[in-house]
Amino acid sequence: MSWQPEIDELKSRLELARQMGGEENVARQLANGKRTVRGRVDGLLDPGSFHEIGALAGKGVYEAGKLVSFTPSNFVLGTGCIDGRRVVVGGDDFTVRGAAADASVGNKAGYGELLAREMRLPMIRLVDGTGGGGSVKTLEKMQYSYVPANPSWDVVVSLLTEVPVVGACLGSVAGLGAVRVVTSHFSLMVKGTSQLFVAGPPVVERGVGEKVTKEELGGSAIHARGSGAVDNEVESEDEAFDQIRRFLSFLPSNVWQAPPRRESQDDPNRRNEELLSIIPRDRRRAYDVRRLIGMIVDIDSFFEIGRYYGQPLVIGLARLKGHPVGVIANDPMHYGGGLNAAGSQKMERFIDLCDTFHVPVVNFVDQPGFLIGTAAERAGTIRYGARALAAVYQATVPWVSIILRRVYGVAGAGHGNAQALNLRYAWPSGDWGSLPIEGGVQAAYRREIESSPDPDRRRREIEEMLNELRSPFRTAEAFGVEEIIDPRETRRLLCEWVDSAYGLIGSQLGPKRRGCRP
Amino acid sequence: MSTTIKSPSVGSIAAILVENGASVSPGDELLVLEVMKMQIPIVAPLAGQITAIRVEVQALVQEGDVLLTIG
Repeated sequence: MSWQPEIDELKSRLELARQMGGEENVARQLANGKRTVRGRVDGLLDPGSFHEIGALAGKGVYEAGKLVSFTPSNFVLGTGCIDGRRVVVGGDDFTVRGAAADASVGNKAGYGELLAREMRLPMIRLVDGTGGGGSVKTLEKMQYSYVPANPSWDVVVSLLTEVPVVGACLGSVAGLGAVRVVTSHFSLMVKGTSQLFVAGPPVVERGVGEKVTKEELGGSAIHARGSGAVDNEVESEDEAFDQIRRFLSFLPSNVWQAPPRRESQDDPNRRNEELLSIIPRDRRRAYDVRRLIGMIVDIDSFFEIGRYYGQPLVIGLARLKGHPVGVIANDPMHYGGGLNAAGSQKMERFIDLCDTFHVPVVNFVDQPGFLIGTAAERAGTIRYGARALAAVYQATVPWVSIILRRVYGVAGAGHGNAQALNLRYAWPSGDWGSLPIEGGVQAAYRREIESSPDPDRRRREIEEMLNELRSPFRTAEAFGVEEIIDPRETRRLLCEWVDSAYGLIGSQLGPKRRGCRP
Repeated sequence: MSTTIKSPSVGSIAAILVENGASVSPGDELLVLEVMKMQIPIVAPLAGQITAIRVEVQALVQEGDVLLTIG
């Protein structure tokens, strides 16, 4: 007698699990413009690569010892491949009791985190639930209250230092669910169908008297275009999966491996003529820094993160000769590129990401300094700026700066680690100092200007005299800047550098002493 | 249906390059905002006619302030 009857039962139980929360709930999920959790897993992973874990978990109803109905657990977990590399994926099933934690079975989510940690695989969370704290119904069910503890949090936090973690917000996500999205290296949300908040509208109305819709409280306009809690906004779940795949393509599976190289068809010696004139000769004119980045890195390789947060700073991942690199750039279109509190936070977090995963950094510098004014002071710019500087100095990943134009003040000085090699190339448009001449002359030469019979004229004379000394070639004469290059040579030089940088990475692998925080 | 053009950041208006009633095409420079000594061109996102200019040269603006409208 074989075990065939049990194998048949296994098959029929797996079939029940695939039905999720039943036809009606599945239809409602789809009508809301969302995929089911299984549809999401299929949309994310390489076809046929999903290996599910714990599909049998659920709540069975028995009559006379025979299973008559089955509600699967509201969390689908497994491993699968993205571009041929294995990842752990866990997703809430909203069709089963709204994915509420009080309807969960066992600690599937925690098991998934542990799996990612011990197998050193990237973790992807597809969050579409009401959180983990459960509801007050738990109280009735358990007949006692409990002191809250964040489940598996030690592992969740450790993951950030060891493997790439992605948080996708794919529905209305509150409390623990929201924290699970945000405790990641890269997070995104879908415009219109996902919202994220500490607590939803009913609780907010009771607690602070605000009457708001879900979208007003925590839609993508709030978090992906303002608060910075979520990195990217996407138009659809399909775009979310594309972005997750793209983000992971730049990173190793864990910190013990080097970032993966891809074949690149783009000529490392490619010279783009437009680079010769992209920086306006008029110092006060802005330019499109994204266009500049696009002309230098491998064609179409730039993947921007957090575009609408901390806008004076542009960050993203890209490739040079197929090697992943982290790109930082100041955007003169926003506050003239002046680093504000939000931009500083974005910079700190991105440097930590690159350093953690050994992704060499290219910093395109046009930095007028920290943002000034009362609003900037109130925002604590100097505190967040100091943290960004600390991140620059703590990073041990290979780093190169391309000085495009301005390097002013403390923020400018933070373009690299000045006590280390601080490898850099300056363009002929380079313009630097501790204070810009225009603002500084009046203060520094006040007595001389005021005692002159024609103070205005004296001020202009001093300015002209100083402007002549401003040439970057004079700095190069003093070896105050090591190289001035033809901007069209930038790609060639960076491609030369990236080979050397990756030559170093092999001896730097492993976790950094500085842990990574969300 | 008119479109409002808002200031992307705090700053002052360095120049206004269009007049009320002017026809504009996407990408045309409408005005120039100055912040941190940097002049930032504000361009038309779409074709249309300028129906109102809400700022003057040298005016200080906050992020989100309406600069002009295109009808």
